[in-house]
Amino acid sequence: MFKIAQKNELNQVSLTGMRALLLVGLLIQAPRTLEEIREVFILYNIMEENHSNDIIRIDLNTLRRMGCEISKATAKTGFKYVLTKHPFGLQIDENDILVLKKAYKFIKEKEDIKTLLEFDNLFKKIAEYVMDNNIKEQLYGISFTKEFPMDLINTLLNDCKQKNILNIVYQKPTENFESYKKIIAQNLVLKNDKLYLYCYDFERKDSIILNVKRIKQIISRIIGSGDNQFKTTKIKFHLKSFGVLELNEEEKIVESNENGYIIEAEYHNDFVAMQRVLSFGKDCTVIEPLNFKDKIIQKLKSMRKIYEE
Amino acid sequence: MKSKVSSKINLSSMQVIKTLQVLMQGNFTMNELVDRLNINEKDVIFNNSVVSKYINTCRYCGIEIPKIQNKYFVASMPFGLDLTSNDIDLLEKLQNVVKQNMLKKYCKIFDDFINKVNKYSNKKIIRVDKNNYKMTLEIFENAVCEHRKVKFLYKNGAEYICSPIKIVENGNKVFFNVSYKNKDKLINSERVSGLSVLSEKFFPRISNVTVTYKMKNVLAKRYALRENEKILQRFENGDIVISNNGEVKEILFSRLFRYDDLCEILTPKQYREEFKNILDNTLSNYGVD
Repeated sequence: MFKIAQKNELNQVSLTGMRALLLVGLLIQAPRTLEEIREVFILYNIMEENHSNDIIRIDLNTLRRMGCEISKATAKTGFKYVLTKHPFGLQIDENDILVLKKAYKFIKEKEDIKTLLEFDNLFKKIAEYVMDNNIKEQLYGISFTKEFPMDLINTLLNDCKQKNILNIVYQKPTENFESYKKIIAQNLVLKNDKLYLYCYDFERKDSIILNVKRIKQIISRIIGSGDNQFKTTKIKFHLKSFGVLELNEEEKIVESNENGYIIEAEYHNDFVAMQRVLSFGKDCTVIEPLNFKDKIIQKLKSMRKIYEE
Repeated sequence: MKSKVSSKINLSSMQVIKTLQVLMQGNFTMNELVDRLNINEKDVIFNNSVVSKYINTCRYCGIEIPKIQNKYFVASMPFGLDLTSNDIDLLEKLQNVVKQNMLKKYCKIFDDFINKVNKYSNKKIIRVDKNNYKMTLEIFENAVCEHRKVKFLYKNGAEYICSPIKIVENGNKVFFNVSYKNKDKLINSERVSGLSVLSEKFFPRISNVTVTYKMKNVLAKRYALRENEKILQRFENGDIVISNNGEVKEILFSRLFRYDDLCEILTPKQYREEFKNILDNTLSNYGVD
C-alpha cells in the first residue's frame, strides 16, 4: 500500500504522524485487529517490539478526534477495528453522478453485457472509496444490474457462451400461470433497461426472446449441446437514409449509391427483423426474401387500417 | 489505566492529519497553508518549519505532494483505488463518450471527476484531446438560450438557417433539434462542419407537443414507461393510453412504428395524419396504394 521513500531523501518526519497515516490506510483497506496493526507498525519501523499496544489505542483515539468513525474491537467485529467513516474519502458529488449516468446511458446502448458488468464492478470499486452514503448508493445504482440478481446474469452469460440447453420455468406476460420451456441459450441483450435472453425454443422450433425477469427458475441444463440448432432471419433491404437510427452490428452495407444503401442483415428472428425494418419507416424497402416482404406489406396494411377507421 | 488511554490523543499526529486535510482542499503556498492551519487555533501552532516537517511525513508515507510554482498539493494518495488496466480502459471509454457527445460543462465535470479518481488511483488516467465538436454543441445551446437563429454549414457545403430548439440524443447519435419553416427537424451532428449564431432572433416555442397513443394487447402488458410518459387511461382488457411530452417527433415515430399494429396515435390530429402518410408512403414503396 505505502510506497515508503528512502529515509535519506527526507530531512525530518513525525513518526507519530506516520503511524496515524499508516493506520488510516490500513483501516481503509480492511478491518484489523490490534495485533495485525502492531505487526505492520513494527514491520515499517514505526513501533518497537517492546512498545505497549496502548500506543495504537492512542493513535485510534487521535483518528477518532480527527473525524474518523472507528468501531470498538469486539467479538461482534471479530475483535477488529472497523473504519466506517473518514475524512480522506473520494469526494464525488451529485454533478459527477449526473455525468456518469449520462455517459453510462450512451455506453449501455453499445456495449455487450460482459462489458457492462465490468462497468458495474468499476462503479462498485469507486463507491468503496466514497464516504457519503447517498453518493455511494447512487454509484451502485448507475449500473443496470441493480434490477437483476448478479448470480442469474453470470449463470446465463455462461449458458450463452457454452450454448447450453436449459429447461426453465417461464411466466409469459399474457398469462398468469408459469410454463415450462426447453431452450438453447444464445445471447443476453440489454434493451431499454430490460434484460433479454435470445434463445432457440424447441417447442416452437424458432428463435425467441425471453424477458430475463420472467424466468422463474432454471430447472436443469445440458452443457454445450445446442451448438448447431440456431435459426435466424436473413433479409436484404434498400435504405434511403438512416434517419435517427444507425447501423447495427447485425447489418452490413453491401452497396451504396446516390439513392441510398443496399443492406444485408441477419436478425435473431422474424419479430426482431420486422421491428427493425418498420422503425426505418418510409426510408426502408425490403427486397428479399419474398415471404418476409409479404409479411411486412401485410403488417403495414394492418397498421394503416387502424388510421382509416 | 484503561480510561486514561481512552481519553489520550497524540497532538502531532492530529497536526499531520490536519495538514493533509488542508492540502486536499487545493493548491497552497507555504504561507497560505500556515494561515489556513492556524485559523482555528487559539495560539499559533503551525509555522513554516513544522508544516514542512508534516508535509515530509506525508510524503514519507507515499502521499505524493509536489510543489509547483511554490504551491503544494496532493497529487496522489497511497491508500487509493487499485485500478486495473481494464478499469482504466473503461474510464477512458466513459471519457470518450463525454468528450465526443456532451456539452463543455459536462466535460469539465468529468475532468474534475477524473482528477479526483486520479488522486486516489495507483494508475493515471489518460486524457482525451478536446475537439471542436463539443464547441459546436456549446454554441448551439447558447443560441437556444439567447433565442438567436443559427446557420449550419454541412460537410457537403450546403447552408441551412433555422431556429435552434435543443440537443437530442438517440442511441449513440447526437442531433440538433431545430425548427425550419415552422417544422421540427433533426440534424445529425456528424453531417455538420460548422455553425454560426446569427443576430436575428426568433420567438421561442411556449411548450412541447404532447402526444397520446394507445398500446394494445401484449404490448400494453409489457410496456415500460419512459421518463417523459405517463398512463392516462387503463381499459378493462388491459389496453392503455399513454401521454408523451416533448419527445422529438422523428425519434418517437421510429419507435412507434416498431410497435406495429399494437400501437395507435390518438392525438394530436396532425401527428396521426402524418403517421398515416408515412404508412401510405411506405406501402407505395412496395407498389401498394
